Amino acid sequence: MNVAAVVALVVTQQTDTTVPVRAGMRLDVENFGGEIVVRAWNQNSVRVQATHSSRDRIDVSAERTTVNVRAESRRGLAQMVEYQITAPTWMPLNLHGVSTDIEVDGTQAAITAETVQGELKVRGGSGQLSLKSVQGAVKLQNAKGHIDVYSVNEGLTLENVNGDISAETVSGDVTLQGIESANVEVNTVSGDVHYDGTIKDGGHYRFATHNGDVTLAVPERANVTVSVATFNGDFDSCFPVSVTTTTKHRFSFTIGSGSARLELETFNGDIKLCRPGQLHDKHHDDQEDN
Amino acid sequence: MELTTPGVATLSRDPDEPARGAGDAETADVALAASGDGRAFERLYRAHVARVHSLARRMIGFDVADDVTQDVFVRAWTKLGTFRGEAAFGTWLHRLAINVILARRTSLGTERGRYHDGADVLDAVPSRPVVNDLSLDFQEAIGRLPDGAREVFVLHDLEGYKHEEIASMLGIVPGTSKSQLHHARMTLRKHLDR
Amino acid sequence: MTRDQWTDRLSEYLDGDLGIAERAALEAHVASCPACEAILAELRRVVARAQAIDDQPPTTDLWPAIAQQIGVSSGGEPHGVVSLAARRARRRLSFTVPQLAAAAAVLLLLGSGGAYLTLQRGTSPVPPLPAPIAGARTGRGPTTTLVGWEKTRAKYDVAVAELESALEQGRKSGRLDSATVRVLDQSLVTIDSAIVQARRALAADPGSVYLNQHLADTMRRKLELLRRASAFAPART
Repeated sequence: MNVAAVVALVVTQQTDTTVPVRAGMRLDVENFGGEIVVRAWNQNSVRVQATHSSRDRIDVSAERTTVNVRAESRRGLAQMVEYQITAPTWMPLNLHGVSTDIEVDGTQAAITAETVQGELKVRGGSGQLSLKSVQGAVKLQNAKGHIDVYSVNEGLTLENVNGDISAETVSGDVTLQGIESANVEVNTVSGDVHYDGTIKDGGHYRFATHNGDVTLAVPERANVTVSVATFNGDFDSCFPVSVTTTTKHRFSFTIGSGSARLELETFNGDIKLCRPGQLHDKHHDDQEDN
Repeated sequence: MELTTPGVATLSRDPDEPARGAGDAETADVALAASGDGRAFERLYRAHVARVHSLARRMIGFDVADDVTQDVFVRAWTKLGTFRGEAAFGTWLHRLAINVILARRTSLGTERGRYHDGADVLDAVPSRPVVNDLSLDFQEAIGRLPDGAREVFVLHDLEGYKHEEIASMLGIVPGTSKSQLHHARMTLRKHLDR
Repeated sequence: MTRDQWTDRLSEYLDGDLGIAERAALEAHVASCPACEAILAELRRVVARAQAIDDQPPTTDLWPAIAQQIGVSSGGEPHGVVSLAARRARRRLSFTVPQLAAAAAVLLLLGSGGAYLTLQRGTSPVPPLPAPIAGARTGRGPTTTLVGWEKTRAKYDVAVAELESALEQGRKSGRLDSATVRVLDQSLVTIDSAIVQARRALAADPGSVYLNQHLADTMRRKLELLRRASAFAPART
């Protein structure tokens, strides 16, 4: 974020406020430009350190259920603030920005984070996790719960994540690595989709793109019914599969008992299945055929 | 497992774009066509049909050239959204046309036995040239070449591709491409316009 | 090397594919072999003759057949210079592909989570689409309401238009900067292009369950983007 430089041109000011909190409260931060960085600690208080213009005032108010953090400007113009916030690990976070990077580290609670222009990076989190950015990549690591990640024109990366996952972007790759889940839905219009994680019995997995490849690591002992659909692409598997039903543009096959359901779709790209660990060695050398 | 047409190698070459006064107007037409404008696509068709049809005629024969050309443009319409403007539209279309032609040739079941690897190529072709009617004109003579030799000759001497590119398109080794080309030229020299 | 073996290398020589040593050896041989020299001259003429061949158009105009296959009028459609937004609007309005409409009636449920379309062909319903995976969030219910294609399209168009206008408000309010507006525009173009591709594929192959579902999904994606984008736009006042 290059906002820091802009802030430095006007007279900058530091604010450092700590408020006590009790269980059941949540943290709610809104910022226009700059960044919101939240780290977790084991104290029942929220510390807000902010770097901002001297024209702005940082307002930290603890109400019954919520700690609200806002910047107020005398002129009512857009504020640019860099927040460094430390909050209890148990405290749910509600973070909103416009031109704002958002970073969270170490939280063990629910997180809602939305920004229009900026990156979202979250390590930790549990429960409802909703991360959305229009222009900016979203990365989530070491989290568990119900996960909903969305971006418009950047990629989505999930690593070591446990729980139900919904990931959607318009233009960007979606990479899911080290996933433990029985319910995954991934959609992108223009981007590749990569999944390396569990295929659990009875689970549901859907990976769909319009312009992009879908690559998937299928564990050795998976029991899954796979449905593959592509209009302009090829299907390739590192291990033998025997196709059971075929219709135009779509076919399916079963691995093991077939109890999980896996849907793979790409309109213009290729679909590739391998075993875990094989995908990195076997890079697609196929090029676009036109 | 192959679900659709065989993937065809990417070509590094950018054949000279014919001077069609294309430039910006063509770029605009491509964008319009990609958004569903039939008239813009018709202009693209008019500008490029001769090249596509000629390629089809030479590669796969007069009988199916019309059909293949239609197929190329229908596919181009469907795939226009994947054209990212990295190459000229004509280049993209040309590659698409080659893919369609090669896929068609496969589906016609004519791909078998067309190449003779190694140095034996001249021995392997009939000692009596396939093209032995000296009254044939040069272009007809091209059409009468054995499939493999004709394809290599067209791609190399008419379309300007390199042996490595041709080899990867046709799934042969560059040495085969070279020997097929030589065979074709040796045959065709008997049909130079007198 | 026999004369034939030398002859075999003549094309490579012509194409500049020989190494320096081979080239020198071949030139020396040709200088002493009139027959080889004659062949070389002929091969040169073959190459020159090939390069002189002009492209010829087909003897019959193939455009009407192509136009019919891709579902556009062979007379073309009039157009002038139009803005991106107008093009999007036009695309939206021209959404009915005649073949598609004739072949398929698409059902649309505009739910809280987005649109869910399914397909009915002719008078007999096709087998139900695979139910969407019980997604983490999508809110796509298993129930669908049967409506005609025209009604579906009208609903979809209304929803898209409403959202586009909400987004426009966000733009005007200045809360979305030009870079974001551009990104949203590009993303809409990306989705529109996917929709156009899916429609074209479907026009050629109306029976494909995958294509029907894919088109529906992509349309839903557009609504979803507009819905989210317009929600982002007035986020702050």
